[in-house]
Amino acid sequence: MSHLTRRYGAHVAVDDVSFEVGKGEVVGFLGPNGAGKSTTLRVLAGFLGPTSGTVKVAGHDVVDDSFEARRAVGYMPESVPLYPEMRVVEYLRFRAELKRAPRGKRAAWVDDAMAKAHVLDVAHKRIAHLSRGYRQRVGIADAIVARPPVVVLDEPTAGLDPNQIRETRALIRELGREHTVVVSTHILSEVEACATRVLLVHKGKLLAQGSIEEVRAMRGATGIEVVVHGDAATAERALRATEGVRDTARAGADAGELVRLRARFAEKLGAPERAAAVERCVAALVAAGVGVREVRPAGGSLEDAFAALTHAESETGGEP
Amino acid sequence: MRGFWPLYRRELFAFFVTPLAWVLIVVVQGMHFFLLVDHFSRSADAGMGDETPLSAFFGNTVLLYLVLFLLVPPMTMRLFAEERRSGTIETLMTAPVSSPAVVLAKYAAALTTYVAMWAPTVLYLVILGRTGALDWRAASSAYLGVLLVGAAYLSLGLCASALTRSQFLAMVCTALVLLVLFILGVGEFVTREGTTMHTVCSHVSVWAAMNDFASGVIDSRRLVFYGTLTVLPLYVATRAVEAWRWG
Repeated sequence: MSHLTRRYGAHVAVDDVSFEVGKGEVVGFLGPNGAGKSTTLRVLAGFLGPTSGTVKVAGHDVVDDSFEARRAVGYMPESVPLYPEMRVVEYLRFRAELKRAPRGKRAAWVDDAMAKAHVLDVAHKRIAHLSRGYRQRVGIADAIVARPPVVVLDEPTAGLDPNQIRETRALIRELGREHTVVVSTHILSEVEACATRVLLVHKGKLLAQGSIEEVRAMRGATGIEVVVHGDAATAERALRATEGVRDTARAGADAGELVRLRARFAEKLGAPERAAAVERCVAALVAAGVGVREVRPAGGSLEDAFAALTHAESETGGEP
Repeated sequence: MRGFWPLYRRELFAFFVTPLAWVLIVVVQGMHFFLLVDHFSRSADAGMGDETPLSAFFGNTVLLYLVLFLLVPPMTMRLFAEERRSGTIETLMTAPVSSPAVVLAKYAAALTTYVAMWAPTVLYLVILGRTGALDWRAASSAYLGVLLVGAAYLSLGLCASALTRSQFLAMVCTALVLLVLFILGVGEFVTREGTTMHTVCSHVSVWAAMNDFASGVIDSRRLVFYGTLTVLPLYVATRAVEAWRWG
């Protein structure tokens, strides 16, 4: 996908986004609501045409060779629309035929997709009678039924309970073995749970991309947060004296004698050096006679990276 | 025509798995039965006059239009509007299907259902044919008329459904268009002969058309008129479906 722009009238939903997804990758498409994720995926799936730029799926241009491009993609829209009056197996057979699964193998492929998506037990139920979780899985079965090289799932865990979310993530990782998978979500832990690579989008622009480690390293674990029992000033002095620590700050007083402190590491430190710095910090605190109750890396999660990146963008961006 | 057959079968399935088609079939059959009984009870005490069962059945009756008027809007309203409302249009259009195939499959399914609604009436003709002489050629031309008028109306209904997201709006629009067509046809009787308005009205009139077909007259002008009324909305609907990608 290169220089994709998609407008709705004057509103630019996707602005000059370019990326490539390699075979066999599971890519997490990450961004807050309204970032242009769905629009991008719709263009990828051939539902919307690009305003400008070119999009190729498995070598087929979505505009010039739309038919082949659409054959190469199994797409599940965000709302998982299905025909309520059909039975699950009827629906999947219809979809398999529509997507031109070879006649002789169709029944086997449908059974296979139902097995993979764990919907065999409701195969003969009407879709109208299914729960949200099952519908989602029928949607995934539909996406993979014609065995497309690329599977695109738009917010596959939206509206599911925690158990179902875990199952769906496991399913996505499974799919990654046979398909190239593109998953969109606004939940960061989801990407950490199932993607091998991340694309960060915000306000229609691609902010960052890379492996999860790379994106994390961009902001990186910038320091540690400790909860100590004892004199706050002594603790701060001890931390500041530790090699690799740039500065410290109070992160709000906790109940009683507990104090929450944050230490930021010098920016030049790499990931292994940071780990060593964490150890030195704890050792220094203990040596200073301060009780350490809690230690956790600060700013290391994708949440922080994401917040920092999207925040920086809205501060500097001239985007309306 | 990629994807025509699976779509056609699914649309037929959608018609007959819901009560809609069955309810409409019962309504149509009930009306026809009423027409038939009415005709014979009147002809028993008043004599036949120049009215034949065929022309009474297909021609000089407002009930045929009433049937079409009640039948077509609910049949066609859901074709596209429902898919757009529920979002299934997204899974449909991202499958490798061509827009003409989608439009034609939906249309063909509606037309098949329409034909199925008329099919039982052939039985009446078979019974009539046993009791007396029946002009099968006139009967065939009457059925051709029914088919042509229905084909055109269904096409208009499908087009309305493709142009709006709301089923209700699609139904109202279709009903309005059909009503306007019908009123134009009635105009044949209220305008003075020889005026342009009268000529236009008599060409558009379903009433006159069905009278012609019911008496065995197949006028090429009527074929062209209803052919155009079928093809044009289908074309517009196809363009509308393609336009969604860029809208």
